[in-house]
Amino acid sequence: MAQVLDIITTAAIFFAVGAGLLIVFGVMKIINFAHGGFITVGGYSALAVTNLGLNPWLSLLFAFVIGAVCGMIIERLVVRPLYSRPLDAILATWGLGIIIGQVITLAFGREVQFVQSPVTGAVDLLGTSYSQYRLILVLAAIVLALVLAAILNGTRLGLVTRAVIMNESLARGLGINSGLVRFATFSLGAGLASLAGAFITPLSSVDPNMGVPWLVNAFMLVMVSGVSLVSLAIACLVLGGAQVLVSTYGNPVLGGLTIVLLAALILRFRPQGFSRE
Amino acid sequence: MAPPRGAAQRRQPQAWGYTDERGRAAPRREWLPLGGQRSGGSRKRGGTPMSAAVALDLARVRSGYGEALILREVDLDIRCGEIFVLLGKNGMGKSTLLKTVMGFLPVRAGRVRLFGEDITGQPPHRLARKAIAYTPQEQALFQDLSVEDNLRLALRDDKHLREGVKRIGAFFPFIPERLKQRAGTLSGGEQKMLLVARALMSRPKLMLIDEISEGLQPTVIERLAGVLRRERDGTQVSILLIEQNVKFALSVADRYAVLKLGEIVDRGSVGDQGAEKSITDHLAV
Amino acid sequence: MTDAQTAHAGAVPLVRARARSDLRLVLVLGGAALVLVAAGPYVLPTYMVNSLIRAFLYAAAALTVDILWGYTGILTFGQSAFFGIGAYAAGLIFTHLGFSPGHAALALVVGVAGAMIVAAVVGWLSFYQGASPLYASVVSLVLPIVVAQLLYSGGTFTGSSSGLSGFESFDIAIETWFWIAGAFLVTLTAGAWIFVRSDAGRVLVAIRENEARCEYLGINVSRVKILLLVVCAAIGAGAGYAFACVQMVVAPEYAGFVFGTELVIWVALGGRGTLIGPVLGTLVIDVSTSYLSGNLPFVWKLIIGLTFVVVIVAIPQGLLPLIKGAVDRVRGRGKSDPTEPPPTLQSVAAEPYAGLAEAGPHALQIKGVRKHFGSLRVLEGIEFTAMRGELLSLVGPNGAGKTTLMRCIADGNERTGGVILVNGHDIQRLPPYDCVAFGVGRKFQTATVFETLTIAESLRIARTRRALPSFRARAATLDVPEAALKVIQATGLEDMLHVEARHLSHGQKQALELAMVLALEPSVLLLDEPTAGLTKPERMLIGQILVELASKHSLCILLVEHDLDFVREISSRVIVLHQGRLVLDGTVGEVVESELVRTIYSGGAHAPTAARA
Repeated sequence: MAQVLDIITTAAIFFAVGAGLLIVFGVMKIINFAHGGFITVGGYSALAVTNLGLNPWLSLLFAFVIGAVCGMIIERLVVRPLYSRPLDAILATWGLGIIIGQVITLAFGREVQFVQSPVTGAVDLLGTSYSQYRLILVLAAIVLALVLAAILNGTRLGLVTRAVIMNESLARGLGINSGLVRFATFSLGAGLASLAGAFITPLSSVDPNMGVPWLVNAFMLVMVSGVSLVSLAIACLVLGGAQVLVSTYGNPVLGGLTIVLLAALILRFRPQGFSRE
Repeated sequence: MAPPRGAAQRRQPQAWGYTDERGRAAPRREWLPLGGQRSGGSRKRGGTPMSAAVALDLARVRSGYGEALILREVDLDIRCGEIFVLLGKNGMGKSTLLKTVMGFLPVRAGRVRLFGEDITGQPPHRLARKAIAYTPQEQALFQDLSVEDNLRLALRDDKHLREGVKRIGAFFPFIPERLKQRAGTLSGGEQKMLLVARALMSRPKLMLIDEISEGLQPTVIERLAGVLRRERDGTQVSILLIEQNVKFALSVADRYAVLKLGEIVDRGSVGDQGAEKSITDHLAV
Repeated sequence: MTDAQTAHAGAVPLVRARARSDLRLVLVLGGAALVLVAAGPYVLPTYMVNSLIRAFLYAAAALTVDILWGYTGILTFGQSAFFGIGAYAAGLIFTHLGFSPGHAALALVVGVAGAMIVAAVVGWLSFYQGASPLYASVVSLVLPIVVAQLLYSGGTFTGSSSGLSGFESFDIAIETWFWIAGAFLVTLTAGAWIFVRSDAGRVLVAIRENEARCEYLGINVSRVKILLLVVCAAIGAGAGYAFACVQMVVAPEYAGFVFGTELVIWVALGGRGTLIGPVLGTLVIDVSTSYLSGNLPFVWKLIIGLTFVVVIVAIPQGLLPLIKGAVDRVRGRGKSDPTEPPPTLQSVAAEPYAGLAEAGPHALQIKGVRKHFGSLRVLEGIEFTAMRGELLSLVGPNGAGKTTLMRCIADGNERTGGVILVNGHDIQRLPPYDCVAFGVGRKFQTATVFETLTIAESLRIARTRRALPSFRARAATLDVPEAALKVIQATGLEDMLHVEARHLSHGQKQALELAMVLALEPSVLLLDEPTAGLTKPERMLIGQILVELASKHSLCILLVEHDLDFVREISSRVIVLHQGRLVLDGTVGEVVESELVRTIYSGGAHAPTAARA
C-alpha cells in the first residue's frame, strides 16, 4: 500500500513540475531549459521565507510571483528573439539556467540547506502511516490539473491559447495577439515551475543545482506527452510508477534513470508518445 | 493617392461614365450609399471624393519571401462596397498579395492604405481588429475545435456571439444546428461555407478571401456568390477575392485585375465587353 | 567524345593542382602550429603548460562537436560520454590490471571500440528515418547522464563519485605530453579541415540544410549520420584516453552532461561551423577558467553563461566569424569575393538503366494506390501503367492529389495501401533513397535546394550516388549528364556556378533543382511543376529537353503541370485527377477536348464517387 501511495505521490510531483514545461512547449514549440533554474528559484524563495521566519505557506505565493516575474523578463529579452530558432532557444535557456544557478550561489552560498516544511507528521491511511505533506502534494497536483484544465477548456483565454497552439498564424489572422499569449504563457510556466520548486523543497533540501535532475525528467515526460495535460498525467503515472518500482526492487541508481531511458525508447517507436494522435 | 507607374494599363471601352487619365472607369456613383458612409480615415486626410470611396489601396507595393521578390510594383485599389476579384495562375503572387496586405510578409517598398489610413507593415492581429476579415487558402479552420469555437475566435468577446450566429444562420442554416460538431468533420463545401460565415461574423468592412471556390460543387459556389452579393448590397462591405475560377469570378465581381509574375497586367470592369476574352488571353499565355 | 576525353586528360593535372593548393595551406599553417607547440614548454610557465595539455584534449572533443553540430546540424550534448569512456578504459585497466605497454594498448582499443559500439547504438536510436532533430538532441542528453550514473553506482570498481586516481601511467615528462597532445590536436584539426572542405564534407552541410532533398538524391542520411557519430566517438574516446594517461585521475564528471554542455558552449562561443573557432575558443576559455576560477569561481562561470546567452541571441555565428568579419572590413576585402574558381562542368552520357536488372518496358505500375489522412481520403483507387519513353502529364485542380501521388511513387512509406512497381521493382515500404536506386528522381513542387551551397556544390551532391566524392579534395571537373548541362546552360546558371543557392531567384532555384534531379540519371522522372517561375523561352527549352529525354533516352516522365498549353505541346498522354480519383486517362487530344475536364477546371463537376464525409 505504501508503494501505491509512493507511486501516486511521485506521479503528482512530476506532474506539478512538468505542467509548466508542457504548456510552454505547446504554445511556443520550444523546450525551456531554464525550467530547472526556475525550480531552483522556487526552492530558494521558500528558503528565504523560512529564513525570514514567515509562515511557510507564504513561500508558495512568493515563489510563484518571483518565478513569473523572472519569466516575463526572460521571455522579452531572450526567448522572443529566438522564436524562429528552436534549437538555439534550447541552448539559450540552458545558458540562462546556468546564470540563475550562479546568481543564487553568489547570493545564498553553495551548501545544501533546509527549508521548513509547512506540515509535518504522518497520517494513517488505509493501513499504512504516510507522510502528510506528500499527501497534500497529491491534492495540490490534482487541484493544479483541474484549474489548468478549467482555464484551457472553459475560458476564452484558454480558447485563444489553444488556438495559438494549434495554428499560430491563423490565430494572428483572426486578431489574436499571439505575442501576448506567448508572453503570458511563458510567465505562467515559469511561475508554475517556481511554485513546484517551493512545493518539493520540504521533501529534501535546496542547493543551487537542485533543478537540474528535475529538468531532465520533466523534459522527457513532456516529450512523451505531446501537448496534452491528460497524456502528461498518464505519463507521470506510468513512468513515475516505473521509477518507484525499479528503485525499490532493483537498483536506486537505475531507478533514477528509468524515466529517462523508458521515455527515449517509447519515443523511438511511437514518436507521439502517450498522446492520442 | 499617387498615380501608379510601370504596369501596362489597358484602355477599357466604357459602357457608361467616363475614363479617367489612368484608363480606369470612374467609380459608379450609384454604389456610394446615399448619406455617404465615408470612412473616418479619409475624411481626416481631406481627400477627394474618389479617395473616400477607396477601402484598400496598394501603391507600388513590392514584397516576397526571403530573397525572392514575388510582387513587383503592384498598384491596386478596392472601392467601398464593391467585389473585386484578382485573377492569376498558380505562383503568380495572388496569395502573397493578401499575406502582404495582412502583414504576414514585410512590405519592401510602397504603401498599403486601409480607408485612407496607412497600414503598411502593421502586424496581422492589429489589422484583423480593424474590421478586416482574412480567409487564407489553406489551413483556414481549426479542425479540432468545434464549429462554435471557430466562430467565437472571429469575435473580440463572447457578448455578440448569439446574435452573430443568428445572423449567419440566415445565410447558412446548417451552422446553428451543428455548433458543437468538430470543424474537421464537416464536408469540404460545408467547411468553406463556415469560413465565409466566420468572416461575416465580425461584421467586417473589408473581406480578403483566398480561393474559396476551389473544389466546390456548383450549387455551393452559387450559394456563396449569392451570400457575398447580398452582404455587399446590404452592408457595403468591400470584398477582395482571389480566384482562378474565371466563371465564378465574373459571376460575382464588379471589377477585376489579372496578376502575372508579380505585376498587374490587366484590369477593368467585369461588365465590359471583351473583359472575359481579355482575362482568358492573359491567363493562357 | 574526344573533346571530353582531351578535356578530361587536361583536367587531371588540375585536380592534383587543386588538392595541392589546399594541402599547401594546411601544411603551412599546420607547420606553424607545430612549431608553436614545440616551443611551448620552453616559453610558457609550467602551470600554463599543464592547463594547455588538458585544453588541447578538450579542444579535440570540441572539434567533434563542431563537426556534428556546426557542419551537420546534429546538436549533441553527448560527446563527453565518449570522452569519459576513453578515460575510464584507461583508468579501469591501469587500476585493476596494472600498467604495461600491453595494457596500455588494450586500454586504448577497449576505450575506442567501446565508444564506437555505444555510438552505433545511440545512432540507431536517434537517426532513424523521420526522426526529429529535437529527439536526437534528447538522446544525446540522455547518454552522458546514463554513463555518469553507471559510473557513480559502480562502487569500488569504478571509484564511484571520487573516481579513480593514483594509477600508474606512461613515464613521460610533462613537456613530452605537451608535444603529444599539441601534435594530436594540430593533426586532427588539419585532417578535419581537409575533410570538411572536400566534396565529401559538403554532404554534411547538405544534410544540415535539407535532409529531405538529400534522401531524394539517393543519400542514406541515417547511415551517414551514424558513421559520422561513430568516427567522432572514436576521436573523443582517444582524447579521453590521453587525458587519463596524463592526469592519472578519472572522475564521473568527465563523462557527464555538464561537461557535454560545456563543449557545446565552447563551440558556440568560438564559432560553430568554423573548426578553428571552437578550437581556439576552447583553448582560450579553458585556460582562462583555470586561472580565474580559483579567484572568482562563481562570477567567472556567470560571465561565461552571460556571454553564451548573448552570443546565442545576438551573434549566433560565434565570435571568430565576428572578428574575421571586422578584420576583413578593415582590410577592405568583401565577403562575396570568390576565393577560388568553381569546377568546370563536363558533359557525360547518361546511363539511366545502368545497374538495373532487365525490367521490361513497364517503367511504372500503379495498382490500387490509396492514401488516407484519418478520415480524409486524398487518393483512392489509383491504377495505371506507364511505359518507358512516355511523357505523361498529371493534371487536375488544386487538392486533386497530384503531389501526393508523386510522393507515393518516390517514397515507399507514403501510401496507405496499394502496390507500386518501379522498373519492375516493388517499392514496398522503402525509403526515398532506396527508391532512387530503382531509378526514381523527384523534383519537388517548391524549389528545394541547399541554401548555403553553391550551384556547383549542389550538382556535386546530386552526383553522389553515381560518383563517390573525394574525401580529401574538391574535384576540378564535374561530370554532368547532357540533359542537366543543357538546363544549366539554358537558364544562365553556367556563369553562376560559384553563387550560393540562396541568392538565386525563384525561377533559377527551380532550374537548379531540375538540373540536380537530372544529374541523378533517373529512369523514372517525377516533375512537380517544373516550369513554374520560368520565362517563356526557358519553358520551351525545358519542354524540348523533356521530350528528348523521353524519346531518345527512353525515360518515363511523369509531369504535374497547371499550364495546359505546355501539357498539350509535350505530353504523349494525360491523366486527370479530381478529388483523389483518376477520372480520365488518354491522349492529349482526348483529354483536352473532353467536356469533363472543362467542367472540372471551371469549378463545375463533382466527381461521382468522391468520398468526403
